[in-house]
Amino acid sequence: MKRLFYLILLLTIVTACKEVFEAPPQALLQASFYHSTTKRTMSPIVTVMGIGSDSLLYNEEIASSVLLPLAKTDTSHFMIWIDSKSDSISFIYTTTQKYASMESGFYYEYKLRSVGFSQNRIDSVEIKDSLVTTKWNENIKIYIHPLSVSNN
Amino acid sequence: MRILRFTFILCLLATISYGQAEQEKKLKPKRTDNYIHMRGFRAGFDVTRPFQDLWTKGNRYGTEVSVDMELWPNWFPVFETGYDAMRIKTNYIDYKSNGNYSRVGFDYNFLQAENKEDKDIFFVGFRYSFALSRQQVDYYLIDSYWGLENGRFGNQNYFAHWGEFMIGIKGEILHNFYMGWTIRGKVNFNHKELELPPVYFIPGYGKAEKGFNLDFTYSVYYNLPWDFRKSVKAKE
Repeated sequence: MKRLFYLILLLTIVTACKEVFEAPPQALLQASFYHSTTKRTMSPIVTVMGIGSDSLLYNEEIASSVLLPLAKTDTSHFMIWIDSKSDSISFIYTTTQKYASMESGFYYEYKLRSVGFSQNRIDSVEIKDSLVTTKWNENIKIYIHPLSVSNN
Repeated sequence: MRILRFTFILCLLATISYGQAEQEKKLKPKRTDNYIHMRGFRAGFDVTRPFQDLWTKGNRYGTEVSVDMELWPNWFPVFETGYDAMRIKTNYIDYKSNGNYSRVGFDYNFLQAENKEDKDIFFVGFRYSFALSRQQVDYYLIDSYWGLENGRFGNQNYFAHWGEFMIGIKGEILHNFYMGWTIRGKVNFNHKELELPPVYFIPGYGKAEKGFNLDFTYSVYYNLPWDFRKSVKAKE
């Protein structure tokens, strides 16, 4: 009787646990901030929004890097406010569909071709790793101008 | 599944160590039951296949029948065939696969009969197995900051084959009625390589991405007591 109880318990646990399905992973572009002259990392107050979307990705957050989701189409545009000074940044890339598993589904990976940007606060951008995969790592370095005294 | 795996390994080790002990003695008495125990064909139905959903991720259902006979004393050629279907439906994907599979092989009985009426067997068996199957993804969904992307993959047909080795028992519970189980290891030989999505499920085998699968079957059998040997002799 005890064995039967354990068997039923085991079956219940197995059947209760088996239907947990995870969402597919997401490839995100990681952009880190660096001082344009000292080349050291910086943590400015950042706000980020995708152009064409009405929701903010970051809202006045102190961050040394940001993770940006790219669209399926081969270009994505973002507005980025660094210490309240706005810049636009655009990514051109190729998209590849990938298979995660039949339990979670599919996702996209990207290969960066080029980056365009305005130069209000951004000084320059360097592509460090052009492959944007689900293993998030630093893809681009954004070098930013130091705040001038008049802006303080 | 882990418990099953350990049980299987233990049984395998026990079988190996039993064989080694026999070798050490170097005295292997000849079998005294060197005769046909079971006349005619034995048809079976695997009662576990319709309930695979209980221990498989996703919804898996199937049915399987088998036929075997004692062609030579203690040697049983076996043919098994079945249908297997798998469906995974989540918020992100709706996957379907189904197909037919067959296995051919033999069982060898280790259990010595105590008397002429004793037809119980404890056996090891080997099978060559193959499946013809198809799969499709009715929809998939990729949810991102930029919105929902969806799509589908049409029908894909594929062939797969694998080998199985097993231990098991078949016991006569009523006259001509048998019940029995097997614990079997399945080794994937090959399956068609598809681009996207790859083959996920092989009927009769399980997850295609795994090179080795462990399985358990429990079947009921009926022995059709038609002695074909007598019929052949009578014709001669």
